[in-house]
Amino acid sequence: MRKALVIVTTVLLVAFVLQFVFAAVGAFTKPAGEGAFALHSVTGMAVIPVLTLLTALFAVLAKAPGRLVGLAILPLGLVVLQALIAMLANASTDAAGVSTPFGLTIAGLHALNGIIAVHVVVSVHQAARKLAQPAPAGVTQVAVREGEPV
Amino acid sequence: MTVGSLLAADLVIAVLEVAGWLGGGAASAARHRRLALGLAAFALLATFARAITITALARAGWWFAAEKVLIAAPLSLAAVVVAGPRLLRGDCSRSRRGVRRAELEWSRADIRSVAVPLLFAGYAESGALLVTVLHGYPASAGAGLLAVAGVVAATAVSWRVLGARPSRVVFRAAVVVAVAALVTGTGLAAAPGAAPAVPHDHQPGDARTAGEATRRFTLTAGTTTVRVSGRDVAAWAFNGQVPGPELTATVGDVLEVTLRNRDIARGVTLHWHGYDVPNSQDGVPGVTQSAVLPGQEFVYRFRADQAGTYWYHTHAVSDVGVRMGLYGVLVVRPAPVTGVDITVPVHTLSGRPLPTPRTEPVGAGVPVRLRLINTDSTTHRYALAGTRFRVAAIDGSDLNGPTPLVDTAVLIPAGGRYDLVFTAPATPVALFVDGRAVYSTGAVSAATGAWPVLDPLTYGVASPVPWSRFDREFTLVLDRGLDLHGLFPRYAHTVNGAADPDIPPQVVRLDDIVTFTIVNRSLVVHPWHLHGHHVLVLSRNGEPATGSPLWLDSFDVRPGDVWEVAFLADNPGMWANHCHNLAHADAGMTLHLMYS
Repeated sequence: MRKALVIVTTVLLVAFVLQFVFAAVGAFTKPAGEGAFALHSVTGMAVIPVLTLLTALFAVLAKAPGRLVGLAILPLGLVVLQALIAMLANASTDAAGVSTPFGLTIAGLHALNGIIAVHVVVSVHQAARKLAQPAPAGVTQVAVREGEPV
Repeated sequence: MTVGSLLAADLVIAVLEVAGWLGGGAASAARHRRLALGLAAFALLATFARAITITALARAGWWFAAEKVLIAAPLSLAAVVVAGPRLLRGDCSRSRRGVRRAELEWSRADIRSVAVPLLFAGYAESGALLVTVLHGYPASAGAGLLAVAGVVAATAVSWRVLGARPSRVVFRAAVVVAVAALVTGTGLAAAPGAAPAVPHDHQPGDARTAGEATRRFTLTAGTTTVRVSGRDVAAWAFNGQVPGPELTATVGDVLEVTLRNRDIARGVTLHWHGYDVPNSQDGVPGVTQSAVLPGQEFVYRFRADQAGTYWYHTHAVSDVGVRMGLYGVLVVRPAPVTGVDITVPVHTLSGRPLPTPRTEPVGAGVPVRLRLINTDSTTHRYALAGTRFRVAAIDGSDLNGPTPLVDTAVLIPAGGRYDLVFTAPATPVALFVDGRAVYSTGAVSAATGAWPVLDPLTYGVASPVPWSRFDREFTLVLDRGLDLHGLFPRYAHTVNGAADPDIPPQVVRLDDIVTFTIVNRSLVVHPWHLHGHHVLVLSRNGEPATGSPLWLDSFDVRPGDVWEVAFLADNPGMWANHCHNLAHADAGMTLHLMYS
């Protein structure tokens, strides 16, 4: 399970990197049509949520310490928040469909939240790797006694 | 505060509330006493603020608050009841302790004991928020039970992980509750709704006529490349041009349009937007005809008896089809043109605006009619600078007693048309669309961005509603929600909680007077479009329309808006009734009106 946690956090990290790439692809696609952010949307609404769910699930199943479990659940919340921010920013237009300063401020939070999320994922990944490393003998025995389900 | 911004504010507060409770729970689990208490206090404040927004939304209309009152409020109450007293108790016992060091250690231990209650509150609010965002209106027992299952399961897991394990009995009870709620909720949510399939019968055209002057056109749809703003872009076009040929007729003619499909693989049709044709000529694939596939043709025939500005477009894969350029103008004039009569169909093709700006001098004193058409899926802002003008007609229907306007912008919904008329002054005049000059009679520099916007509901001279009775009333609540489309889940645009093809059709009888109450509880505008009929606007947001009678076929229902409209059911058949943001229509926001 600990190995699985390392693997899924690695994949999640890669997905996050790609997500930033897709955001750039969307921003620089000319002309800026409706489909420019399609890759970004699909990754953000389907791939990343599934991976964050798996991360949280594996952290619990791996009997990781409480701090790591909490840290592993955090990306899930941030990802839901990220989708909500995008929805609000898209909705904050005037009657003619033109962006408002308020909407663009909200849109800025989308970028900030993305940066926070990727930092959290990096921390989870590092903690997961530490957890998966073979521990000193005594600790291993304790873990065995508890019935580590690997 | 408008109901639309209230809906957004409520969502923001709900997110802060969730963050506060969950953050407080995490902080207390990590033994950060102050942070935990601070976040919990913030969450409590947000919870009370949300009680205010929910109350305000409920007062604006039950549709806006149903699931918040029925699902979010009980969950919030449970959250406050569980987490509140534990927090207070922690604080009281702290003040009883005298020795500082002991107090610190005690309170550190104590703060960890409120972690599970705080997390429970966070899960409860998250569940409520997810119900609002993913399910919406109407509140359903299934969604409520699924939320409860999620909350109980998450709390039980947190309990185990945090080590403060509950007794076996409590834990088993929690598991049983979660599983029972999950099973019942899934059962209720997955139970098939009764949505009779739309019967599609293709009758022969009922506009067979003889004797009248017939205007014949042939439109051939095909893929092509067109030049827009100096750039070649891929397009789908009628007769190789975007927009397609302008079809004109004079009242009394018969229009006969032969549609051919050269190579649009997904098929084409012609829908006469805003023009109330007999059902068989309406051009909705799968409902009034089959899509015209490559190599096939279909002949449309109807009387030109409704003077006004209309447009035509494909209704097969309409989102892509119209966006790629399968549209054109249809104008029926009461008499031959006198003066200047110009159509301005605004469109965005591959991100580039159409039509190409044009400038032509017009002699002073010449009557000018600008027929403004919005063929995009979003609202556009039109501003006519340099002259006084009147809005003579909206959606093809003449207005009653339109007064002169100056320095006033008009917002035209997706699919809508406004006819502006004026007598050309000696000085130049220019029409700006979203700040871009599209038509002018000379050089005009004007900043139109700050102009006030015309509200058609208060423009012109009123006349009484022609009906004293209403036979049938329908409410359409527009929202978003998760929907199973085949086996694929999608975040659909929904009407009354369902998405096409699962929305039950509205059934009326011939000569019924029908009212629609259209409520938008989503965060985006929905330009509503009923086929085959023009609806009379009765009221918006509870305020009756006081201007000229407005017979519309396309109107923007903005977030938080409630429109009441009525129409006479005088055109039998099966009619599409949908959002004219065609991406929304594709994503579920389409239903049908049928005659029994």
